[in-house]
Amino acid sequence: MSSKDSIEMLSAGLVPEKYLRNIGTIGIDGQLRLLKARVAVIGAGGLGGNVIELLARQGVGHIRVIDGDVFAPHNLNRQLLATESNLGVNKALAAADRIAEVNSDVHVEAVSKMLDAENALELLAEVDVVIDALDNISCRLLVSKTARQLGIPLVHGAIAGFTGQVTTLLPQDAGLESIYKVTAGSDKGIETALGNPAATPAFAAAIQVQEVIKVLTGVGEILRQRLLYFDTELNIFELLDIR
Amino acid sequence: MIEVRLYATLRRFSPEASTAGVFTLTLPEDSSVKGLLSAIGISPSDVHLLMVNGASAELDRILSEGDRVGLFPPVGGG
Repeated sequence: MSSKDSIEMLSAGLVPEKYLRNIGTIGIDGQLRLLKARVAVIGAGGLGGNVIELLARQGVGHIRVIDGDVFAPHNLNRQLLATESNLGVNKALAAADRIAEVNSDVHVEAVSKMLDAENALELLAEVDVVIDALDNISCRLLVSKTARQLGIPLVHGAIAGFTGQVTTLLPQDAGLESIYKVTAGSDKGIETALGNPAATPAFAAAIQVQEVIKVLTGVGEILRQRLLYFDTELNIFELLDIR
Repeated sequence: MIEVRLYATLRRFSPEASTAGVFTLTLPEDSSVKGLLSAIGISPSDVHLLMVNGASAELDRILSEGDRVGLFPPVGGG
C-alpha cells in the first residue's frame, strides 16, 4: 500500500490498520496531516536514528535525512540505525534502507552530506519542521539561524551522559543562542566528558518526536520558550523558562 | 543568602556537605552571577545557561537576598 492509498482511505474516514493505534491520540485528521507533512532531520546518529524511526512509524510522510557521516563501531551503543553489518555505510542512506522496511508510506530523502553555511538554506527549504539531531554546537546555531530565516519551526534536542534537553523554537522566538554561548574553540558540550550512553538519546529523541507531532497536528501544547531539561542520574526533570 | 543549584558536571563544584548540587551561600551585597561563579570556582565559560528565580538571566545580573540560581553546562551531544 502506498502513501496515496493511505491518504485516500483516511480521507474517506477509513483507517489503514498500521495506523489504528495512532488514531485515539491524533485522530484521522492528524494522521492525514502527518502523512502529508515534510520534515528535515539533521543528523542520523543517536538522536536522529531514534527520531527517524519514530516519525516513520507514526506515519510522517516525507523525511529528509541529512548526514554526511558513516557508521563506526563506537556508534553501535546508541545509534538505532547502526548495525554490525552496515559499518562504513552513510547514515542517511542507512536510514532510507531501514525505513523502507518499516513503513512504505514514508519517503526518506537521503542527503549524504553535511549541512554547512553554503547549503543550509537549500537543504532546509520546503519542509514543515526541522529537527536538530546534531552533535556540535556551531552547526546547531547555523540550523537555528537558517530555520528562522526560512520561517520554519525547529525542534532541538541534545544529550550528554544521563542529561538531555529538548525545546521547540518558533521562527518569531529567540534562537538557540539563548541556550548556547558562542565561544571560540568550544564546539562541544559536556558529552566529551560524560559520553553518549544508550538510553539518553532515545529518551530525548522520543520527546522531540512528540514535539514534531504536536507541531504538525496542532494537538496539545508544545515546549515553546521552555526547555525540558532532564538529568536521570538524580531524577531531575525541569521546565526552564528560556524567553 | 542565595540558593544555588548546580547541574551535571558543575555539581563537582558544590561544597562537600551539599547533596545533589544544591546549597546556599552568602555573598557581599550587590554581587552579580559572575561574582557567585568566582566564589564557587566555576569559570564563566563553563556555564551556557543560567536561571535566576526560574527565568533565563545573564552573567551581570545582580543578585538579591533569597534569589535562586541554576547553573547549567552546555549539553551538545547527539
